Amino acid sequence: MAEEVLLNDEFLRQLMNVGEVDIVVGLPTYNNAKTIEPVVRAIQAGILKCFPRERVVIIGADGGSQDGTRDLVTGISIDDVWRASKVYALRTLPVVTTEYGHGPEHRLALRTILSAADLLRARACVVISPDSTTIEADWLQHLVQPIYKEDFDLVAPVYRRQKFAGLLMRNLLYPMTRAVYGSGIREPYASEFAISGRLATDFLGNEDWNGDGARSGPEIFVTIMAITGKYKVCQSFLGVKPAQDRSSDLVEAMRRTVGPLFSSLDGKFGYWSSVTSCQQVPAFGPQSEVTLEPLTVDLARIREMFVTGVGELDAVFKSVLTESTLADLRRIAALDLSSFRYPAEMWAKTVFEFAASYHKSVISRDHIVQALVPLYRGRALTFLLENQEASAEEVERSVESLCGEFERLKPYLLEVWGERK
Amino acid sequence: MQLKREAGWYKDTIIYQVHVRTFFDSNGDGIGDFQGLAQKLDYLQDLGVDAIWLMPFFPSPLRDDGYDISDYRAVHPRYGTLEDFKSFLSVAHERGLSVIIELVANHTSDQHPWFQESRSSQQNPKRDWYVWSDTDTRYRGTRIIFLDTEMSNWAWDPISKSYYWHRFFSHQPDLNFDNPAVREEMWQVMKFWLDLGVDGFRLDAVPYLIEREGTNCENLPETHEIIRWLRKRVDDEFPGTMLLAEANQWPADLRPYFGNGDEFHMAFHFPLMPRMFMGLRLEDRKPITEILQQTPDIPSTCQWAIFLRNHDELTLEMVTDIERDYMYDIYATDKSMRLNLGIRRRLAPLLDNDRRRIELMTGMLMSLPGTPIIYYGDEIGMGDNIHLGDRNGVRTPMQWSGGSNGGFSTADPEILYSPLISNPLYGYQAVNVQSQKRFDHSLLSWMKQIIRVRRSTPVFGSGSIEFLYPANHRVLAYVRKLGKETVLVVNNLSSAAQAVELDLKQYKGNILIEMFGKNIFPRIGDLPYLLTMGPYQFYWFRLRRI
Repeated sequence: MAEEVLLNDEFLRQLMNVGEVDIVVGLPTYNNAKTIEPVVRAIQAGILKCFPRERVVIIGADGGSQDGTRDLVTGISIDDVWRASKVYALRTLPVVTTEYGHGPEHRLALRTILSAADLLRARACVVISPDSTTIEADWLQHLVQPIYKEDFDLVAPVYRRQKFAGLLMRNLLYPMTRAVYGSGIREPYASEFAISGRLATDFLGNEDWNGDGARSGPEIFVTIMAITGKYKVCQSFLGVKPAQDRSSDLVEAMRRTVGPLFSSLDGKFGYWSSVTSCQQVPAFGPQSEVTLEPLTVDLARIREMFVTGVGELDAVFKSVLTESTLADLRRIAALDLSSFRYPAEMWAKTVFEFAASYHKSVISRDHIVQALVPLYRGRALTFLLENQEASAEEVERSVESLCGEFERLKPYLLEVWGERK
Repeated sequence: MQLKREAGWYKDTIIYQVHVRTFFDSNGDGIGDFQGLAQKLDYLQDLGVDAIWLMPFFPSPLRDDGYDISDYRAVHPRYGTLEDFKSFLSVAHERGLSVIIELVANHTSDQHPWFQESRSSQQNPKRDWYVWSDTDTRYRGTRIIFLDTEMSNWAWDPISKSYYWHRFFSHQPDLNFDNPAVREEMWQVMKFWLDLGVDGFRLDAVPYLIEREGTNCENLPETHEIIRWLRKRVDDEFPGTMLLAEANQWPADLRPYFGNGDEFHMAFHFPLMPRMFMGLRLEDRKPITEILQQTPDIPSTCQWAIFLRNHDELTLEMVTDIERDYMYDIYATDKSMRLNLGIRRRLAPLLDNDRRRIELMTGMLMSLPGTPIIYYGDEIGMGDNIHLGDRNGVRTPMQWSGGSNGGFSTADPEILYSPLISNPLYGYQAVNVQSQKRFDHSLLSWMKQIIRVRRSTPVFGSGSIEFLYPANHRVLAYVRKLGKETVLVVNNLSSAAQAVELDLKQYKGNILIEMFGKNIFPRIGDLPYLLTMGPYQFYWFRLRRI
């Protein structure tokens, strides 16, 4: 355990009353009053249905909600759930909450949950997003069972997604993680996952915990630690993931995901530099599932944002990108929408050059991540254009092809990594 | 003459359940008898119990351990004579011990003369003493109780060429309580024993006295009428007699058996017992508090009979499927331990012979609302023999010493009614009264102590109960109150040490006096009262404002 004092006395008193458990279900909450109720009920139903004999506690780690989220979490009675589901609860199901700070911070929320799991000697710790309104009772089983039955340490989720949902995952996080770390985890940055008590304890004791990467994206940090630490990793199909609010801040999302991923490369160079192939990750259920409901996207607007970004950030790109990549970038910025393409090879090179620049801190690391945002929009636009009429299989092939490019160009990453800019 | 005791004596009593056959053999024939039982009454008096509940000792073909009676007014010759019984009764009363006997009213043995007459012809005057039918399709909504052995509640009688009704084994035909002559005869049976001086009856299988089409033939209003009729006759002619109902039902269905204080004085609380075992293994008070929350209030003159183990299997009829599966998986890993819907094991083996758990369970038994019943041999931690058939594994001879036949009998071991437990862990050489009497810290000595402490106050027998719900759900805490007396009971159901904070602000200013060691604990103040408890530890505190 790190030495930082994290758990307040009131929370410790609650944990003392809970005692040793088998499973901790953590909810990192912050103003989730609108969505939290069905999530907690689904968790309770999952416990009743799948783990009636296990000692389970639900822990809400709250960032200082002003909308009564904490009261909602503790106020949902399991009696209603078992009456509705006709499944009887053998045990008391304690629900405890704590406020770890005044404002949402994923790292602190996760650390609170993992610290509690560590203190309570949980065999498995599940983290569920408080806005996963599509959650079903089975999710808990799918996440916990591999740890319980097969001794896995990390269970990452696989969701059923609309073909144009999760673009950042498909176009950057998954291909990059797979190429660099050699692990085919579909959702390396997941809002739902489960880890073993062993991994939770080790993770808490890791000194990198306080680094930039873990600070901004602790979830992906967990994934990378599991992969590089030779823990047993698998993925489990959950079901529909609600589409994210498109108005949500892409810059912030990339800070929380791409930043930690780039950051992880610094300390793990010894590991990833020697990885030459991708290991299949055991999967329970489908490895991916794409649905084809129509989605309205303003393609012209995305192109406009890409073009504007390329124009405005030219000076930044000169510091980050090689001349040939920058030239290609300028060329495609001049293309109209009908002929617009950000090719996979060029995208992979772009991402690797950004990663190398991040490593070398050629400019502020945060600026580097921010500068990648418009370029990612260009790549996302290409994905949308290429797959407008695509079937689910074609979408999957497209993602697979992009991963292939990232893997093929991994020597290029090593090359630019070592270059002096 | 009945033992003279105060009204409601059964509320402040501790009952010891024993089968005369199992306790002590006075004549060396390998079977316990009334003279032997009488010789061991000093032991029971020393243990501290107040009443003895005798399992059936009447003439019987013994195909169901005496619950198949062939003569209601005599003693089975194996156990002695009626004179022996009278003598035993007299000695028991001299020692202040009440005697409760069985009234197996619902059915007789098929060897009973009544049934023999009834089946002899359809015109026989006793034909209507039993429930006969030309078909086996009546009362289809009625469950079968002995699922492992019976396919139907009807059995074909080849003599009278018709079907007879039986809720238990097919050799136990149900009496027809719609027939006034049967009711009157059953009262005469009771009167016979009451005239001799017995102090109470345990009425076996009471929910099943009456059958009606379109019902499940249990707990019917007509059954309650019969009980009220019997109760009135008892009260009129033998006031002070206690009637105890054996009705394995949910608490809400049991409540009517108390009526308005005009049916049974006592009834077994069957659903509580498995939940005590469940709560212990789950390390969670939920099963216990939940069933007691569902338990309705009963008239002030009435009382629950509570127990940990008895002569039957640990019944799992009054639990949900998920609870039953759990109990089987935890307490009956070997499938031969299971019988019907239950587990045929004794207390000590169920609890892995863990002294701490035995003490905790006994502590709860002695402090929860009700009159506790101790099954013979559990006070010394006797084991069982699952290799004996039916429920015989929990009915082996009492282990008095480490000598020949465990001190139970001077007969050759081959002719004992049942082999003694002789394995290294529970065998009579290791577990017996004689050795446990020698040590202050034996289970037997501890049992004497807890009985003595329980008897030091009427609050456990007659007091109200209020559950505290500390945040630590591994701790079961409650307050028992009677008049000015208040006792706080705190039980740690966990195998690990626990800290618990109790909200006792309504008792602010009181000090706590631990009832076993009489030590004083800190005064209750404004803050939650903090206790730390060892694994499976329990406390009884008397609250005093000094």
